[in-house]
Amino acid sequence: MANTANSRGGFGAWLLDPKRRGALLVTPALVILFVMNIFPLMWSFGLSFFNYKASSLKVPKFRGLSNYERVLTDDKVWERFQTTAIIVGSSVIVQLIIGFLLALMFAKAFPMRRIVLMLVLTPMMLSFVSVGVFFKLFYEPTFGIVSYVLNFFTEDHFVMLGSPAGAIAGIVIADAWMWSPFVMLLVLAGLVSVPKYLYEAAEIDRASAWRRFWTITFPYIRSLLLLAVLFRTIETFKLFDIVYIITEGGPGSSTETIAVFLYRNAFQFFKTSQSSALAYIVLFIVIVLTNLYLYAVNRRAEEVS
Amino acid sequence: MNKRSVISGLMGATVLTAGLGGAPAFSADITITMAAPDWPPTRFMKEHFDQTYTSPAGHTTTLDMDFIPWPSFYERVAASLTSGEQKYQMIVTDSQWLGAFVEGGYYMDLTDKIAADPELTTILQDLHPALVSAYSTYPHKTRAQLEAAGEVPAPGVSYYGFPQFPDTYVTFYRQDVFCDEGEMAAFQAKYGSNLPCSYEDWQDTDWSKWGQIGEFFQRAKGEMLAGEVLDDDFYGIAYQAGKGYDFSTMQANAFIWQQGGDIWDESKMPDSQAEGVVNSDVAVAAFDEYLSYLQYMPPVSQTGQMDIFVIQDLYMQGKVGAIIDWVGLGEPVLDPSASKVHDKSAFGPAPGSRKADGSIDRTGNIGGQPFVLTTWNSEDVVDEALNVVKWWLSPDTQLAAVANGGQSGRMSVMADPTYNDLRPWNRAHVEMIDWQKDVWHIPEFFELLTQQQEEFDKAITGQIGAKEALDTVAEFQQELLEDGGYIE
Repeated sequence: MANTANSRGGFGAWLLDPKRRGALLVTPALVILFVMNIFPLMWSFGLSFFNYKASSLKVPKFRGLSNYERVLTDDKVWERFQTTAIIVGSSVIVQLIIGFLLALMFAKAFPMRRIVLMLVLTPMMLSFVSVGVFFKLFYEPTFGIVSYVLNFFTEDHFVMLGSPAGAIAGIVIADAWMWSPFVMLLVLAGLVSVPKYLYEAAEIDRASAWRRFWTITFPYIRSLLLLAVLFRTIETFKLFDIVYIITEGGPGSSTETIAVFLYRNAFQFFKTSQSSALAYIVLFIVIVLTNLYLYAVNRRAEEVS
Repeated sequence: MNKRSVISGLMGATVLTAGLGGAPAFSADITITMAAPDWPPTRFMKEHFDQTYTSPAGHTTTLDMDFIPWPSFYERVAASLTSGEQKYQMIVTDSQWLGAFVEGGYYMDLTDKIAADPELTTILQDLHPALVSAYSTYPHKTRAQLEAAGEVPAPGVSYYGFPQFPDTYVTFYRQDVFCDEGEMAAFQAKYGSNLPCSYEDWQDTDWSKWGQIGEFFQRAKGEMLAGEVLDDDFYGIAYQAGKGYDFSTMQANAFIWQQGGDIWDESKMPDSQAEGVVNSDVAVAAFDEYLSYLQYMPPVSQTGQMDIFVIQDLYMQGKVGAIIDWVGLGEPVLDPSASKVHDKSAFGPAPGSRKADGSIDRTGNIGGQPFVLTTWNSEDVVDEALNVVKWWLSPDTQLAAVANGGQSGRMSVMADPTYNDLRPWNRAHVEMIDWQKDVWHIPEFFELLTQQQEEFDKAITGQIGAKEALDTVAEFQQELLEDGGYIE
C-alpha cells in the first residue's frame, strides 16, 4: 500500500496516509503546547533551584531548595496570601449572591428579557484593564461618580480607596461586577433544566416557596454552584490586572495579592529564581483547586447522565 | 541591530567605490532603534531628526523610535534587555536604572569614546554638572565629587548617558486667581503676607506659605473665588503623593534634603548607613511637614493615588490653584483643547525651606531622562549613535527642542538670551536645575523604591506616622544594603 502511495503521490501522499494523518494533525498543537507551555514551565522550574537574576549576566549557582525555603518563611508572602484569601473569599461570595439572584430573575419571562440579559452579560466580555480603569475613575473622590452621588447625602467627598477595608471593597465590587454574570449563566443553566412538572406537583402538594426551592431547585443547581465557586476561586486567586490598576496594591501593601507580589519580584526586582519558586507554590495551589473543579465537573456529568 | 542592512550597505558602498572610484568609502544604511517613552519630548526628537539630521559620516541613517507608553516603559525596556533580543541600539532611560542595566551588561560605557572625541568632551563640559552626576555616572558620583576632580571626563569615573530630556519640577499656578486683587487683599489680611502673583513672589515662597495658600484656597462649591461663584469644590495646592513608581519619593526627598536630612548616600558606600540617617529626627520632621500639607489638597491625596498625572489633570480641569509638577508635563496645560486654564497659567520655581539667613533652599529630586547606547552594536552603529547624540545636543537642535516643549542640559544653551522666552517655564527650570540631586542608582533601586513608596503610602493614607514609616524604611534598607555588600 505504502509503495503504491509513494509511486502515485510521492512524499505528500505518504505523509497523508490515514495511518499517519492523526499524528500529523495533532503535531502542530503539540509543538505549540511544548514551546509555549511545557518548555517554559520546565525551564522556570529548573530556575527555581538556582540563584538566577534576569537582570544580571552572572552565571547562576545551584541553590537547591533554598528559594522555596526563603519564600515559605517570608512573612510578606504569607501576608499576601492572607490578602488574596480575603479578596477571593469576599469576591466569590458576592458573585454567588448576585449571580444567583440574577439567575432567579432571568429564569422567569418578562418584557425585554433578552435585551436586559445581554446588557447584564456585557461586563464579563470587557477586558480587565478597561474594567480596572472604569472603576478607578468611578472611585476617584474629587470627580468620580461614586463620590459625586454620595456627596448629595454626606456633603463630603467619599474617599473609598483611602483605607485598607475600602480599597479591598473597591476591588471586590469591581471583580464582582465583572464576573457575577458568569455565575448567573451557570446557575441559569441549572434553573432552566428543572422539569416544570416537578413545580406543578409541588404546587398541588401546596409546598411552600422555600420547600420548593430546597427540594426541587437546589439539587439541580447544587453542582453548578460548586462549579461556579471553584472556577471563580481559581480565577480570583490569580487576580492581577484589576488590583494593579485600581490600587497598585495600596494603601501600603494592604491589597497586594500574591499575583501582584509575584509580578513585582519577577519583573521589577528581577528575583527570577525566587519568584519562580513562588510561582510553583501558587501553581500547586491552583492545581489542587483545579482538581476539585474537575471532580465537580465529573459529578455534574454523572448527575446529568 | 540591523546587521543585515549594515552589511548590505557596506557591500553596496564597496562595489560603488570600486566601480566609480569616488563615492564615500563607508557609507551604509544604518537603523538606530531607540526605546523611548511616548510623550512630546521624544516625539519631537523623532520629527526633528527626520527633518534635519544628516549623517556626518555619509550614512543613510534612520532613527526608528519605539514609542512606549509611560506606565509600561520600565517593564517593556527591562523585558527587552533581559530577554536578549538586542532590539535597541539606544534607550531613553531613567537615571535610576543605570546600575541595574550597567551591571547587567546592557548599557555601554562611553568614557573612552568621550575622552577620545573632543566634540563629546566639549559637550560633557558644557552639560550642567547636576545632570552629569545624575544621568551619566555609574557608580554614582555626586556633583561635588565630579567638580573636585577638576577635569572632564573625571579620572576613574565611568560615563554612560547624555541628557535626552532634563526635567525639574516647578510651580504651575493660576494667575487669574493668585493675582486677583480681592484674593490678594484677603490673603494679606489673614496671613500678613502677600499672595504670590509674580515670578519674583514665587522666588520668595517657602513651604510655610505653600501651606497657607492651601488653607486659604480650600473652597466649597457655591463659595466665591476671584469674584466668581464656584460650581465645584476648589483646592489651593497639590503635589505628588502617589504610591506608584516614585510618585511620593520625588517630592518627599526635597523636604528631607532641604531641611538637612538625607537618604542613604551611595556615593559614600560602604561607610554610609541607612539606619540613623534615613530615619533621623531631621528626616522625620521633614517628612512630617510633607504630610502636613496633604490636608489642603484634593481628596484623592487621601488615597495615595495623587501622582504627577493626576495633579496635572486636576490643574487642567481648574480644580486646583497651584501644583508642583514636572516641566515635561507643562505643554498640555497650555493646550486649549485639553486645558481649561491654558490662558490663565504661569510658572514659578517650586517652594523650598527657609534657612536661618532668610534664603530658601530648593533642593529637589531630578527628573527627566538620559539616553544611553547598548553594548551589542557594531563600531559603525556606535559611531553613528554618537553622531546622533552630538546632533541632539548641538545648540540649534537644543533650542528647537526647547521651543517645542523640551529642555536643554547645556549651560551655554540655557544662557542663550532667547532661552527664557521660548517657553513660559524656562526661567523656573533654569533656576531649579541648580538645586537638583538624584535618588539611588544601584541595581537594587527598585526594591528600595517600592518598599519606600509602600511605607510612604501608609503614611500618606494616615495608617502610620512619619516616624514609623521612616523607621521601617531605614530598617529595610539597612538589611538589604548589608546583604548586597553596599554597607559594611
